[in-house]
Amino acid sequence: MKALLTHEVGSLDKPGWRVKAFAGKPLAEADYEEARHWGERLQVPDYPKLVELLRQSPLNREQKHEVQRWSSRYAVRLLESAGLDVVYDGEQQRTEMYDWTVKHSLGFEARGSVRAFDNKYYTKAAVTGPPGLRAPFHNDEFQYVKSVAGAELKVPATGAYTIADWSFDERYGKPTDLRRAAAERRAERKAGRRAFVLDVARKIIRPNIEALLDLGAGWIQVDEPGASTEPDELSLFAESFNATVEGLPATFSTHLCFSDYRLFFPAIEAMSACRQFAVGFANYDSRELGTSPANRPGYQVIAKFRDLPYAPILGLGVLDIHTDFIEPPELVRDRILYAVDVFDDPNRIHVTPDCGLRTRSWEVAYTKLRNMVAGVQLAKKELRLN
Amino acid sequence: MVAATRGLDRGRVTAASVDEAFAQDLRDFVRVQQDAQLDYFSDGLLRWQDIFRPLVEAAPGLAAHRLVRWFDNNAFFRAPQPRGSLTAIAAPDAIVPDGIVPRPRVATLPSPYLFSRAAVGVKDRNAFMLELAQSVLRPAVERLFQEGCELVQLQEPWLPYFGIADGDWAPFKEALAATRGDAGARIVLSLYFGDAGPHLPRLKRLPVDALGIDLVETDVAELGSGWEMGLVAGCLNGRSSLLESLDETVDLIRHLAASVRPTTLYVSSNSDLELLPTAVAEKKVLLLGEAARRAKERVAA
Repeated sequence: MKALLTHEVGSLDKPGWRVKAFAGKPLAEADYEEARHWGERLQVPDYPKLVELLRQSPLNREQKHEVQRWSSRYAVRLLESAGLDVVYDGEQQRTEMYDWTVKHSLGFEARGSVRAFDNKYYTKAAVTGPPGLRAPFHNDEFQYVKSVAGAELKVPATGAYTIADWSFDERYGKPTDLRRAAAERRAERKAGRRAFVLDVARKIIRPNIEALLDLGAGWIQVDEPGASTEPDELSLFAESFNATVEGLPATFSTHLCFSDYRLFFPAIEAMSACRQFAVGFANYDSRELGTSPANRPGYQVIAKFRDLPYAPILGLGVLDIHTDFIEPPELVRDRILYAVDVFDDPNRIHVTPDCGLRTRSWEVAYTKLRNMVAGVQLAKKELRLN
Repeated sequence: MVAATRGLDRGRVTAASVDEAFAQDLRDFVRVQQDAQLDYFSDGLLRWQDIFRPLVEAAPGLAAHRLVRWFDNNAFFRAPQPRGSLTAIAAPDAIVPDGIVPRPRVATLPSPYLFSRAAVGVKDRNAFMLELAQSVLRPAVERLFQEGCELVQLQEPWLPYFGIADGDWAPFKEALAATRGDAGARIVLSLYFGDAGPHLPRLKRLPVDALGIDLVETDVAELGSGWEMGLVAGCLNGRSSLLESLDETVDLIRHLAASVRPTTLYVSSNSDLELLPTAVAEKKVLLLGEAARRAKERVAA
């Protein structure tokens, strides 16, 4: 892989026209204009056909599916137009990274919404039966994206630990009499967790990835935002990653975010099949320019990734996805230069946002990504990599 | 409420629609508490985006900073950050339960130790803890008591989860005394997400009226007996969608009444219920009420 390669992490916001059309809600003139504006701006081929389609709403099932595909196409173009080296479709055809996976799996039942942060909620399910793959659930999406993308693809797939951690457990553990010794109850709970996580890895995530590889996918990013939730289970996270990918012929990476990353060490020393860690750092960093350690407090942990025995690439998160602040190219440049200095090897640094950009508007996401690419160019110039 | 706030963020619904959604959810939550025949009523903190936010937004010397994981949960809070010196605030309306919440009420605030440890950009955490207690928490406790909150729970997961240094106990005690002031509310220190057992001897010497203990994490046998303060027994798991057995919960409450013998025994969930979907939380509230009622009947008999 090339030095300072750029890619997105996963999700983008879903345009209003996509949400409303899919939900069968009436579209306003502003929605048609949004589709027209971005179609023209991103030079999406045949975009007037989307506007025509939207004007036929309410749409039938096949038309709604067509709108989802248009949304994928727009997102691919947004990422390509921003100048990224590796793209996907902003997960436009999925409901959400957790919900999409459990809805296409056996053994789960929805339980309702819970808050993640601020006013953001997600629908949480409970495992109630044996986990299993209902049918491969990224295949249609992958084949479509492959047919419309010009850039290299990286498929984001939610990892087993996160799926288990974000689910209630109504199968592997049972409520017990609280008069029993707490240590005994805790040990039972941990044993149940381990069985649950590894079942998800072996019976859902791995066969789904195998199906993608059969279709020609070459790079799978295993998304694990929940990986460090329970600090005493980092080894289980690493074990689940290995159970998911071991022996499969592809490039595997993982995405980690919003954690105390020091917790991952030494557990992830066991993840030798992980070629890249895409990690969010900008959220913890200063907005001041500069390449000294004092200027870059959010990146102090990166030396630990450098020192992993299997020398993975670090996907360096340089865009804070929780704010509309637009990182100037010079700030992106300095974050990269700091990381290259620590690693002493630009080939081991890729450049990414901290996480999926779905909480930002397309305008903000696009501007941030363009500045990220511009920052990479500045860094390359500084490093004489062009 | 979930759909309404999401719609508001995306400019698809009006603020008035969101207010109505909150009002409806609050009416539903009050009804469930009444059906459960609880002794104290809460507003469920439905509008609070995290345990610190209304206080942080009301205090000119504080700001809501980056997202930080809420202990070992898939939930995040915005870390409070000092922004200049803290001056005493007028307790914000946002922390006062709506008029439809019956009395007597129970209110929830962050404990000064949690507040000071969860903050970022703090040099002297113990000094900051005392400042928070005096300038932010005490005005809040006073206002809440005036508004019918006879019981104020101070949320303290930090201590059982991360621990506390020997030298921090005295400043913590001072901060708790400053927090409670002279208002007259009964103060509960709620310890959850960790084992409170090793800390109990010192916890029992703090200036609070009761300790809330997470019995999912803490061994009942460690509670000892003959308490000279109240116990809020965290009998139901606020992080599990499975409903506890009614009979076992009743037996547990009776066991605590007979063995621990606190001055007052309150029964509750081990933590707040915000990590559960509404439907599950409602079932737990009803179970709690039923368990308490049966336990009282058996004790009376």
